[in-house]
Amino acid sequence: MQERPLKVAIVGFGFMGQTHAAAWARIPEAQIKAVFEVPARAPQIRHMVSEYGAKVVTNYEEILEDEEVNVVDVCLPTFLHREYVVKALKAGKHVLCEKPIALHLWEAREMIDAWKSSGKKFMIAHVVRFFPEYKRAKELVDSGALGEPRIARTYRYSAFPPWSVKGWFGVQRLSGGVLVDLAIHDMDFLRWIFNDEVARVYALSPERRVVKGITAQDHGIALLKFKKGGIAYVMASWAYPKTVPFSTYFELVGTGGILQFDNRSTAPLRLGTSEQYSTIQTYPEDPYYLEIRHFADHILKDVELMVTPEDAYKALEISLAAVKSSLIGEPVSLPLKEEVIP
Amino acid sequence: MRKFKAALLSFAHVHAPSYARVLKELPNVDFVAIWDDNEERGKAFQKRYSVERYYSDLERLFAENRDLDFVIVTSENARHYEYVKIALEHDVHVLCEKPLTTNLGHADELVSIARRRGLKLGTCFVMRFHSATIQAYNMLRGGDIGLPISITTTNHGTCPYKAAHWFVEPELSYGARVNLREGDPRYRGGSITDHTVHCADLLRWFLGSEVEEVYAEVGANIRSDLEVEDNALVMLKFRNGVQASIDCSWSRPEGVYPTWGDVNLYIVGSNGVIEIEAFNQNVHLATWKMKRLVYSYWGPDVDKVMITQFMKAIEEDSEPKASGWDGRQATEIMLAAYRSIKEGRPVKLPLL
Repeated sequence: MQERPLKVAIVGFGFMGQTHAAAWARIPEAQIKAVFEVPARAPQIRHMVSEYGAKVVTNYEEILEDEEVNVVDVCLPTFLHREYVVKALKAGKHVLCEKPIALHLWEAREMIDAWKSSGKKFMIAHVVRFFPEYKRAKELVDSGALGEPRIARTYRYSAFPPWSVKGWFGVQRLSGGVLVDLAIHDMDFLRWIFNDEVARVYALSPERRVVKGITAQDHGIALLKFKKGGIAYVMASWAYPKTVPFSTYFELVGTGGILQFDNRSTAPLRLGTSEQYSTIQTYPEDPYYLEIRHFADHILKDVELMVTPEDAYKALEISLAAVKSSLIGEPVSLPLKEEVIP
Repeated sequence: MRKFKAALLSFAHVHAPSYARVLKELPNVDFVAIWDDNEERGKAFQKRYSVERYYSDLERLFAENRDLDFVIVTSENARHYEYVKIALEHDVHVLCEKPLTTNLGHADELVSIARRRGLKLGTCFVMRFHSATIQAYNMLRGGDIGLPISITTTNHGTCPYKAAHWFVEPELSYGARVNLREGDPRYRGGSITDHTVHCADLLRWFLGSEVEEVYAEVGANIRSDLEVEDNALVMLKFRNGVQASIDCSWSRPEGVYPTWGDVNLYIVGSNGVIEIEAFNQNVHLATWKMKRLVYSYWGPDVDKVMITQFMKAIEEDSEPKASGWDGRQATEIMLAAYRSIKEGRPVKLPLL
């Protein structure tokens, strides 16, 4: 067998770690060498990990010291990103890290600084940029078909992920809540498609939680004002009942017309059984695979990054401004001077 | 069944022809007169709806039709106050197009004149008369989704200026030339004036609560040839703690988009969600002649239900379901959105 140049360690094997592993397994130039997990979870993932021909490691230093490993894919909870990413970059590894980049701007800055002095490749996995409907919208806007972007709406909602009710996700200071963890997809996409920076954010998030037993904000609505005068409405929610499938909606109006897509009503497949009825998007290619393929190409062929660490920093800044606004009840101007995640 | 004598004052507003149609269709209405300051327009509609009398002089209409029961006022926004007042002073009940006024003092005066004279003053909040919103109201009040928590609403539309240009003339749409804010050449009187009030009214009705605070952002215009704003986003905090938003933009390209716009509400409650897309009942039609897809709406005739219920309120001497006071409250929310844009910060209600 030909030598595979990318030796990958996946750090954290929860939902995202498993999703990334499935995508890495499809990259011919890559081999998953190791998966890091905490000792308590190691036994239950051993079987899945061995299917990739990889070993389970419970000591992160072991991955950092493994000279063969040249790619570290951090799929840990957000509050751990900075520590694990910085260590990996300093150990000379290329790093892919789940979104959001971090929970605080100082952490994101430290990660970016570590990347810049490392000479290694670093990407934050803002997967929405690899979803074909979002990508198409961006291409259409860039083609000039819509004129100057003016006003946009984004919705992104589902029930609270059932695997995380007792975990870090439901803790505001660990996940940042729905405005950071979920809305950040649209914050990033809006910056990208408006091709502009956000000047001001106003957001509302209910004090009362719909999801029982969590502290994280589970519903949020935000207004973004862009520097060139565009505006956008963002609705992100984990407060929907579990009967509602994960849903997204996007519209953008420009001086030349309107563009819309609605994943609630536009899908090629529906399934109805005695238990459920669901609308299914069948993607021509798995966006997570496309994302990881892109990062592999960035490492191997120096293909230009579609989403830079600075983009990830800016998206976080918008989300944090939304959280802050929702807490103080005032619009918040960017750049952010003081962060608030209680 | 009692028979009502009705007149329609001005065909300036794009909703007037539909109200006129309803007045002709209802068996218990005698649509006796039209007044319009635009004689050509008034006479054309007189002919189209076979209305007995056309007037160019409003005082003469009232002088010669002393048995009139009610009028519908569908003039330019800025003239509502004058015409509604004249009608009330002739002891005629009035159903007025929204927004009731663009000035709170005027709204208060109209509400108080109507009250003093024992007359019915209604605001054309047609969305209260749609079977989907009525059913949603009952579900919400029946506790089907627990307590409401956050509501996202939209009332998108095409810019009506090609059908009626006064919609984008600040003197007529807003009653004055008031700059949006310092350094912005645009004036009040665009999509915020036209399209904030329907959703604001639905929210007040659904929640049974008043707005406590308003924040709004206006974007650079979609159309560069307007003196008024054509898009905006409004955020509301209600006294009962519910948070809500309104997109009031004229953001559907006229002559191209398959329909005029939408009235959508996504209500998140403590135990479920209600989603309303009130104008999602359409036959999709595309012809070589039209060269585009068009939605042919077949849903409830909200204009007919509204006018029928207004007459019922007169007959039973009850408060109209969408009253002058409701019109006044929605106007206050609209004005607060403008003030928020001017000041760049949230604005508390009631406005002083």
